[in-house]
Amino acid sequence: MESLVLALFVCLVLALITKYLSIPAVPFYILAGVILGKAGGGMLTTNEISHFFSEMGLIFLLFFMGLGLKPERIASNRTAVLASGIIDLNINMIIGFAAAYLLGFSLMESIIIASAFYISSTAMALTSLIENRKLMLRESDTVIWLMVFEDLVLIVFLAIISAGNQNLVFFLIKILAVLGVLYALAHYGKEFLVSILDRDDELPILFTFAAVLITASFALYLGVPETMMVIALGVAFATTDPDAFEQHARPFKDVFLVVFFVFFGVTVDFSGGANWFVIGAISILAVVSKLVSGLLTGMFIHGSALSGLEIWANTIARGEFSIALAVIYGSPVVGTTIAAMVIVTSIVGSFIAKYSGILRRGIVSHSRHKALLRRSH
Amino acid sequence: MALRSLNLPGVGTKYEFETDKGDTVAIFFTKTGIIQMYTLQKGCKTPSAAEMSPVEARRLGNILSGAIIEADQESVEIAFSALADLRITIHTFFVTPAFVGKTIEDLQIRAKTGATVIAVCRHDRNIINPPPTFAFEEGDAALVIGESDQIKKFESEIMVK
Repeated sequence: MESLVLALFVCLVLALITKYLSIPAVPFYILAGVILGKAGGGMLTTNEISHFFSEMGLIFLLFFMGLGLKPERIASNRTAVLASGIIDLNINMIIGFAAAYLLGFSLMESIIIASAFYISSTAMALTSLIENRKLMLRESDTVIWLMVFEDLVLIVFLAIISAGNQNLVFFLIKILAVLGVLYALAHYGKEFLVSILDRDDELPILFTFAAVLITASFALYLGVPETMMVIALGVAFATTDPDAFEQHARPFKDVFLVVFFVFFGVTVDFSGGANWFVIGAISILAVVSKLVSGLLTGMFIHGSALSGLEIWANTIARGEFSIALAVIYGSPVVGTTIAAMVIVTSIVGSFIAKYSGILRRGIVSHSRHKALLRRSH
Repeated sequence: MALRSLNLPGVGTKYEFETDKGDTVAIFFTKTGIIQMYTLQKGCKTPSAAEMSPVEARRLGNILSGAIIEADQESVEIAFSALADLRITIHTFFVTPAFVGKTIEDLQIRAKTGATVIAVCRHDRNIINPPPTFAFEEGDAALVIGESDQIKKFESEIMVK
């Protein structure tokens, strides 16, 4: 219990500081976990309570992501989602996988690292667009839809990782069946659900919490991983009143997710056997490979490399989903590498996103200057 | 002038329109509750942005719809076309030092101007229908209702003193 209280207190202080400076808090939550955990004296230790909280954090994160996925909306924007999404997926998966494999990770580990390497942080990208007042830029639409595409790909990754030894086809059919049942429940129980959500007593929030938890624990009996179950629940609930569900699930998500980040940091061990060369190489490549995919997307969609720079600036940061992949896979070496990558990319990303305007203007005036020089000769 | 509205997943709703002269205005209602307004001049590449709270955005809306008379003081005129074109004006005033300590009765607001104080805002708290014995304090904002002539009279006779 003391661990949890200490973790919450540290997070509260960190949240206050980072919000005041308007920088992302996630890397600092992880660092706090690292410093107070194994690496630094073991003030924080994982126990049953922290484990439960972390699990809740992961479940609510995925439930929230499911709520945001509205299939009909994606279908109506197929071209916008597809073109940039496919460039982003291919470039970053290939670079991430090649780098991890060449640096000596096993095949499965490389796939996990490549997936975490590919998935940008949706939360950080959207916050950066709003806080840096970039919503009107045409590149920001591309970034927003890119995040939707990445969420879809993440679901596929999660399915593959958690399928384990099961027959993949049988496994997918099971997931689709679950989704179908939840969809039908949401569809036929819509009026009931909405009537619950409209109340202003404890019922809506209790219902939301219970529905997510019951669905997650029901997963055990069906042999479908709980991660897939809660996403499916989110997608099904999104057909009723997603805003109300978001509002009621947000407090749980916010608190549990912070604990999840800290205790993920606790499991990270930079001191013993961490290969700094490998960690550094992956982190730097993570920044560079998004530059490559960003530039290509910019040129392909907007016909301008400068647009690519803007896309890059807002998609550098890796965050919650990369960590989720690391936790679900659960290998300490992979976890350490991904933790370092998240810390580096999210800090670098937040600064580049803040100053991308200056960067763009600098490049434009520089090239204009060069053009003028050329003309005078 | 074509107005487009667009739902952006995870961000909120976007409204965008282009003026006849080619300038673009975009408004974003974000999920966090804040409202961002961007303007992009024709031929320009970088937009400028303003971030507003919902209250500020409503205020801006009032200005744009032409209801504001002076800065800091807002006024709304409501026309009831069914009642012989009845026009009622509601106006806000920040009280002057001359008001402080005096009651509505002392100031003889109704007798002198015909206008009525219908609400007073004090330290972010609203007092609706203050009684004649209600005494003003420094920093109060009064909401006065009446015909536009009565409001003008209020401004010239009560406020100036």
